[in-house]
Amino acid sequence: MGDKTDVWQGTLALMILRTLETMGPQHGYGLARRIEQTSGDLLALNYGTLYPALLKLEQEGYIKSKWGASENNRKAKFYELTKAGQRQVRKAAADWEQTTEILARFLAPARQG
Amino acid sequence: MDSLRAKLRAICMRLRSLPGRDRGMGDLDAELESHLEMHIADGMRQGLSEAEARRRALIRLGGAEQARQAYRERATLPWIESLARDLRYSVRTLAKHPAVTAIAIVSIALGIGANATIFSMVSRFLLRPAPVSDPSTLVSILITHVGDRCCNNFPWPVYADLRRDAKSFSGLAAYYQQVPASISGSGEPERVWGEAVTTNFFDVIELPMILGRGFAASEDAQPMIVLGERLWRRRFNADEAIVGRPVQLSGKTYTVVGVAPAAFHSIDQILDIQFWVPLGSAYGLVPNLPLEGKRDYHWLAVVGRVKPGISRSQVSAELDTLAKGYEKSFPATDKDNGFQVDRTGELPSIIRQTVTLFLMGLLMVALLVLAIAAMNVANLMFAQAASRQREMAVRIAVGATRARLRRQLLIESLLLAIGGGAAGLVLALWSTSGLSSFRFPAPVPLDIAVGVDWRVLLFAFGLSVISGLLLGLGPAWAASRPMLTNALKGEDALARPGRRVSLRNLLIVAQIAMAVVLLSVTVLFLRSLQSASNIAIGFASRDRLLLSVDPRVHGYTPQRTSIFFSQLRQRVAALPGVDSVAVTDVAPLSSGHRSDGFEVVGESNKQKTVPIAELYMASPRYFETMGIPRLAGRDFGAEKAGGPKVAIVNQAFAERLFGTANPVGRRVNGGGVTYEIIGVAGNVKSRTLGEDTRPVLFRSLDQTVADDPSLMGYTLVVETKGSPAALMDALRRQVYALDSTMAIYNEETMEEHVRTAYFLPRLAAMLFGVFGGIGIVLAAIGLYGVMSYTVGRRTREIGIRMAMGARRGTVEGLVLRQGMRLTLVAIVLGWPAAWMLARLASSFLYGIQPHDAFTFAVVPPLLALIAFAACWIPARRAASVDPMQALRTE
Repeated sequence: MGDKTDVWQGTLALMILRTLETMGPQHGYGLARRIEQTSGDLLALNYGTLYPALLKLEQEGYIKSKWGASENNRKAKFYELTKAGQRQVRKAAADWEQTTEILARFLAPARQG
Repeated sequence: MDSLRAKLRAICMRLRSLPGRDRGMGDLDAELESHLEMHIADGMRQGLSEAEARRRALIRLGGAEQARQAYRERATLPWIESLARDLRYSVRTLAKHPAVTAIAIVSIALGIGANATIFSMVSRFLLRPAPVSDPSTLVSILITHVGDRCCNNFPWPVYADLRRDAKSFSGLAAYYQQVPASISGSGEPERVWGEAVTTNFFDVIELPMILGRGFAASEDAQPMIVLGERLWRRRFNADEAIVGRPVQLSGKTYTVVGVAPAAFHSIDQILDIQFWVPLGSAYGLVPNLPLEGKRDYHWLAVVGRVKPGISRSQVSAELDTLAKGYEKSFPATDKDNGFQVDRTGELPSIIRQTVTLFLMGLLMVALLVLAIAAMNVANLMFAQAASRQREMAVRIAVGATRARLRRQLLIESLLLAIGGGAAGLVLALWSTSGLSSFRFPAPVPLDIAVGVDWRVLLFAFGLSVISGLLLGLGPAWAASRPMLTNALKGEDALARPGRRVSLRNLLIVAQIAMAVVLLSVTVLFLRSLQSASNIAIGFASRDRLLLSVDPRVHGYTPQRTSIFFSQLRQRVAALPGVDSVAVTDVAPLSSGHRSDGFEVVGESNKQKTVPIAELYMASPRYFETMGIPRLAGRDFGAEKAGGPKVAIVNQAFAERLFGTANPVGRRVNGGGVTYEIIGVAGNVKSRTLGEDTRPVLFRSLDQTVADDPSLMGYTLVVETKGSPAALMDALRRQVYALDSTMAIYNEETMEEHVRTAYFLPRLAAMLFGVFGGIGIVLAAIGLYGVMSYTVGRRTREIGIRMAMGARRGTVEGLVLRQGMRLTLVAIVLGWPAAWMLARLASSFLYGIQPHDAFTFAVVPPLLALIAFAACWIPARRAASVDPMQALRTE
């Protein structure tokens, strides 16, 4: 457990959006589990922080929510990507790739040396 | 762009969820509940016990309360919530002290009301743009002449040249402003004022019509008319189908082509114009209208629409060049002439400076009133802060930040100021409607109504916020820094050790010093009104009635006009109660009418001229009826209209031209006419109350109606000892007996007429009187409040003094001395300031000097007396402190 990484500031939103894009409508618990799985269980996600993040995305209009029934027929709130959300995933993903690429250039010589 | 929109949407949603916070939290609780259930079910599926699965799930959730807190902060806007909490708290606090709150709001209301009232005049006369489309590109053009003070109107040929040559304008239009006419419609005939305009006038000013259109280029000489909205409503019952209908204008048939909007009275926003006709058709309405060919008769006002993208300085530059060219081509008439470009809708530049100075002076005084009021409230807040120090100390002790406390107190003072501002606007609504009922002494109808418009609203709101912040700053700062240990012990926490001059004392000194300035100005203007009412006007104002008619606009020939007035005089003289009756053109004190330069016939001495003499017309018995003494010669008799012209001059005229010699029988020349002087009359005030005596020449009415008819019509003057109201009806009946369609206007008693001449001194005395009164009362209340507070705080000390044997008189003296010392310092500071400021008022004072000895001698003791009274009550209270009672408190 000790070597798991905390979620970096600002990346959770992208993870949520991206997960919703690939999986389609999903409830909070399912999203949390999926994010952990995708990260290869390297990420220590505090489930409690997920819900304020979801609310923020909903307020910004990137996702929308409605109550429905889960696979086990439990009452759960399902989140779904909106049109604006789909645009935002592409934009944020591109931004992020650019950021990592820039950072990679800084780090690469150090590794060689 | 996208993310900005997303942020905005988020803020909106957070705002929307403010009132329904609990619903959102319920939603989250259900969601967390379902999350836990799924997590537990997963755990149990992996073989954990339910208890263990729940434990792990709860750990992974990481504290439901933190999640809820984070969610809450995200769901709403926290600072708005805390602001709303502070607001609620402030309202509750203010409501807990209704007396203090009421005094504070009334004080500020008086201050803001005074400012809003004055600013509504500033807005009306200095800021309001002309009611036309895009006023910023419309300019007024005037002709200047080297050596003249200001500007002149255009002769037709210069306008025509400019219209042809100037490239800066997309359109130039000219208009003539004085077209009186009687108009048909419902009810008794009415005399109204209109303008004669070039046919492109409405196109150049781009005025959107209510009905119909402006004039077409081909209609210059056509009898077409545009009605003003009020005239259309009043006389034609707002008839929607009026366009194309005929109306009777001074007995001629005009066809209505349009109705102009209600906001448009005239471009200068002062004249109250009710109809417009094409310039070419006005020759039938106005006698002696100058011919279009004359290049030396200045009678047309000109407006121009500047082409887009051309600056004011480019316009001026082009006009300068053109003026130089005209000077070369027409040296006889255009020498030394230039053009001046003004913003349309501005006051004429001759009076703009005076009005600006007057209004700025008033605004300064109103700001003084507001400052005194705000200081009062600040002092009240200080007193309150002192009594709330326990509360503040406790709040700090339990963890409130000082910034939060300051914000809280500032919100309180802002609430007071905005509440006061709103109440002040109500006052301003009431006072501006009072101001609008003032009548300006002018023979033409003016529209000088003032009201509260959006600029005034903005100004009042801004001023409220600023004064709220300023008056709250000091108390907020002081109250947020209580000496904690003192406060919790119940001792005075605001008194800082080693400080002798308190902020409160500074405030009260400033307040009284301002009151000194205010009181000086007030006394000055009251003295001015008093001395104005002692001005000898030269004619009797009691027991006289005035009534005007204008037979010319009803199509009367000069001969018929003469007969009409002679018959009217006979009929009125026969009425019971009438002592004397006469006819003139306009009564004196109507801001002037006609004037001309005069010289003695056969006199070569060029010094012996009268550059400007006032011209009036008079029928026989005019001087007896007006109560003007006749000093030499005879009265007008039955002069023949075509016979040699005769005139009666006033004393000033006679002395200017003939010194002590007898002028009767001498002949004078003016305006191309030679008059034989047949008599001399006493001096009268001709245009305004404040003027130096002007030379006046009275012409025989019968000899003048033909050659130089009065545009203002003619006024019947009747002397009677009976009831004016009853006689006025009888007079109207006599006019209608001669001509039932004759429009009657300006019915008033001579006293009413003269009172309008007191417009300026009365307005000034009233405004300054009200402001001064408010300021003094506020300052007195302030002093009283501070002294009461001091006595309250020193109760124990006074008790000890009295227990040690101090007598009541000594204690009273103690308090009075403290109060009077503050007053004295304030007077020493305020008196010189008042002395310096008084000079600004000099041009608005009648018959007294700005450094009026009486005013400056009487103000300090008067103010000291008021201050003494304000300190007296607290001093009495101090003296009646029961030593035993005082020592036993705690």
